[in-house]
Amino acid sequence: MLERSKLTFKMSQEKTILIFTLLGVIILAFIVIPIVNMIATQVILDVDALIKTAKDLSVLKSIWLSIYAAFLATLIALIFGVPLAYVLARRDFWGKESIESIIDVPIVIPHTVAGIALLTVFGSHGLIGYPLSNYIGFVDALPGIVVAMLFVSVPFLINSAREGFESVDPRLENVARSLGASRWKAVCEITIPLASRHILVGAIMSWARAISEFGAVVIIAYYPMIASTLIYERFLSEGLSASRPVAVLLMIVCLLVFILLRAISARWKRYDRD
Amino acid sequence: MIEIKGLSKNWRGFSLKNVNLRVEKGEYFIILGPTAAGKTLLLELIAGFCEPNEGGIWINDKNVTRMTPEKRGTGFVYQDYSLFPHLTVKENIEFGLKIKGMPKSRIEEKSKEIMDILGISHLSHRRPRTLSGGEQQRVAIARGIVIEPSVMLLDEPLNALDARTQIQLRGELKKIHREAKLTTIHVTHDQTEAMVLADRIGVMMNGEIVQTGSPEEIFHFPLNERVAEFVGVENIIEGMVTSNEEGVATIRIDDHIMEAISSAKVGDRVRVCLRPESITIAPSKTLSSARNSFSGMITQLVPLGATCRIEIDCGFPLISLVTKTSAEDLGLRVGKGVCASFKASSVHVF
Amino acid sequence: MKKLVAVFVVILLSCAAPGCITSEKVTLKVLHAGSLSAPFEEMERLFEERFPDVDVQREAAGSTKTIRKVTELNKTGDVVASADYSLIAPMMYPEYADWYILFAKNSIVIAYTNDSRYADEINQDNWYEILGRLDVKFGFSNPNDDPCGYRSQMAIQLAELYYNDGNIYDDLVEKNTNLRMTFEDGTYILRAPNSEEINPSDKIMVRSMEMELIHGLDAHEIDYYFIYRSVAEQHNERFLELPPQIDLSSADYADTYKKVQVVQSSGNIVTGKPIVYGITVPKNAEHYELGLEFVKLVLSDEGQKILDEMGQPPIVPAVGSGNVPQELMMLVYQG
Repeated sequence: MLERSKLTFKMSQEKTILIFTLLGVIILAFIVIPIVNMIATQVILDVDALIKTAKDLSVLKSIWLSIYAAFLATLIALIFGVPLAYVLARRDFWGKESIESIIDVPIVIPHTVAGIALLTVFGSHGLIGYPLSNYIGFVDALPGIVVAMLFVSVPFLINSAREGFESVDPRLENVARSLGASRWKAVCEITIPLASRHILVGAIMSWARAISEFGAVVIIAYYPMIASTLIYERFLSEGLSASRPVAVLLMIVCLLVFILLRAISARWKRYDRD
Repeated sequence: MIEIKGLSKNWRGFSLKNVNLRVEKGEYFIILGPTAAGKTLLLELIAGFCEPNEGGIWINDKNVTRMTPEKRGTGFVYQDYSLFPHLTVKENIEFGLKIKGMPKSRIEEKSKEIMDILGISHLSHRRPRTLSGGEQQRVAIARGIVIEPSVMLLDEPLNALDARTQIQLRGELKKIHREAKLTTIHVTHDQTEAMVLADRIGVMMNGEIVQTGSPEEIFHFPLNERVAEFVGVENIIEGMVTSNEEGVATIRIDDHIMEAISSAKVGDRVRVCLRPESITIAPSKTLSSARNSFSGMITQLVPLGATCRIEIDCGFPLISLVTKTSAEDLGLRVGKGVCASFKASSVHVF
Repeated sequence: MKKLVAVFVVILLSCAAPGCITSEKVTLKVLHAGSLSAPFEEMERLFEERFPDVDVQREAAGSTKTIRKVTELNKTGDVVASADYSLIAPMMYPEYADWYILFAKNSIVIAYTNDSRYADEINQDNWYEILGRLDVKFGFSNPNDDPCGYRSQMAIQLAELYYNDGNIYDDLVEKNTNLRMTFEDGTYILRAPNSEEINPSDKIMVRSMEMELIHGLDAHEIDYYFIYRSVAEQHNERFLELPPQIDLSSADYADTYKKVQVVQSSGNIVTGKPIVYGITVPKNAEHYELGLEFVKLVLSDEGQKILDEMGQPPIVPAVGSGNVPQELMMLVYQG
């Protein structure tokens, strides 16, 4: 009797896992099929174009520009976003919820709208662009690309870092301070190392988001062309057969960088294991 | 020496009201109180993790009320140990010394010494997550002590441990304190812990220090009924003083007469407190030095491991604690008639 | 809890219900050039009034992209309307279409705002001099992507002929970009490099689509830009009309326009000609008949009125080319 009830229990458990796995496979296929299809079509049907693209200097330049600009955007996001994330995680204050909502706004608004808003503010007659116009130009320049990427990608970093800081017990900081560490030291030596995985994952997400940005960038900076603009451009002027190899190349490069970073973040010290 | 004057603080539903406290140098002071009495908050105020709304704190005659925690030199041990999970045991212990900029060789020496004392040298390269609760607590204590703090603050340090480890670590805390003569404030809700460890005890309830005194004073002469109840005085009986001869008062409880050492005057309505472990049980009325002896019937018997809690109806209820062995020897069971007796000096009257 | 979920599901379903009803309607897909957005919005309204069971879905994009959606992205469209009729035959014939109709025209103008530098001075005689001034910025769309882009180039080159000043294109374009106009066998030819190599200086803003330049003007990033008259009209912008010898609006100057050619980076050669909108129903349309109905509406008196109001004067009568379906014959003059 007992055996049987144990068995049915086990079976119902298995069933749940089975259904979950099935559903998971479907969504996974949904992600994988378009990507693999695109890469495979290119590699099988027209590998020459891919090779030619890989040697095309302007393609390589645009991919490098994408990676570089996204890196700069992520760096700025780290410098300004991590401190904000810490304050949000540690302090309660009036209007905190509103600030947290504001941070998510760039995720929600259409990117063309974001681009127009940024152009208005960072343009050479804009609120920020005008006073800086003698030192730095945003329109059709690298700073413009970085600004657009930063705008759409920084929420990912801030949210992830905030989660990281929230996961660190404030008592650890208290103890560190009782042992003679200033708050700055306690944050640097205890909190940041413990939240570092979250921060790293946030930085990766933010970088990836920045690379993929097109709508906001193209409005403020059509030139110099980043990879996504170039892909769009090639599609418009020469069609799918010209744009796909660039897209595939960008995808491969990003996938490699992504896998590498993920591996690093997975190897990152896991404190719950020895 | 720690001195706290008129300290008040409201924080997330906890509040401290006008706390006044003085802990002498080298003293082991225990703050005893039920959960949510504000004990941890008091410790965090002393350590400087938050600022009081009113009042002040002096450590060794220096006003530290507005000082940042890192300048106060307190050693803090939380109930959950709060070890730095990304550092090894050794790195945890050396954290405070490194921050202070102590030379490397000196750090090595000191951390080795403290690890030897606490018997954790073999764990030095392990990470906190891999340690047992008792081991983690030893590391936490070592980490606090090694910086030679002006005061050691312990927040329910034994609470999360199993009974055996509790007893073991209790002994070690006592030993370390005796050797290092470290001023210690230890917060707990556990009476045994307080009784065993404390030089003095402060009873804290609802954010106030209600009574301070030696363990003897607290446990046998609680200031009022609330304290009495909390410190485990299970017998609190109302009566009236009918005579008082040279400090030996006769108290009438319904039809019964009880003697107690007290200065209460004739005609006073009083409460009589009696700790359950002060009551001895005999099968029948015996001759003893005990002035008070009452016959009654056992109405309830609850085994508590090594001891047994017995409720006796002597016309008024009495609760007694006897060892398991004597309960067996005496053949105690519900319904059996027994005689409960206790000394007049065990009775506390207020 | 369960109740709550049930209520939620019911609400969701009831919200979805009207959607279900509309999805039973026939969806007519109209792919059109960005510059036709305004008049076609009106057409959509009219058409849905006339055919209540039809839901018209419009997709605006550059003309080239609009056609590519059908020919390369496997998107079916029931109507394709291009800002350059001459793209339809080379890109869609014979597999995707075998006829088209010229139904409206447009012209290239220079749009600006009151805040633009020298807005008070600019006129038909000095515009190229003002655009050339050091402190003036202007924009045009990418000649590789956008008919408005290459037409702007043609207009600037045609200005050299009209004003008899051989430096206009050099001063305005060549000095500030990698676009080069050459003169070969009596024709002016612009061989556009790949888009990423156009490389405009600070003076010039290039965007893929003419519509994107509007934001540049709004943000005062540029003072002037070359744009279709219809767009300027629809956005209530001030604009300077150029002489008909330049602005590609008039069939009378077709021979003049012909003197300029643009070779797009894809190799596609476009020759200057009057700006004429072409419309067709692709062979693979899901609702071919309804597509024809939509074309009829565009060619009707009401359709013509709308086009006129939006700054895209209709061609009356419309001119057909190829195997124009029988039922449209009445409305067109077969050229």
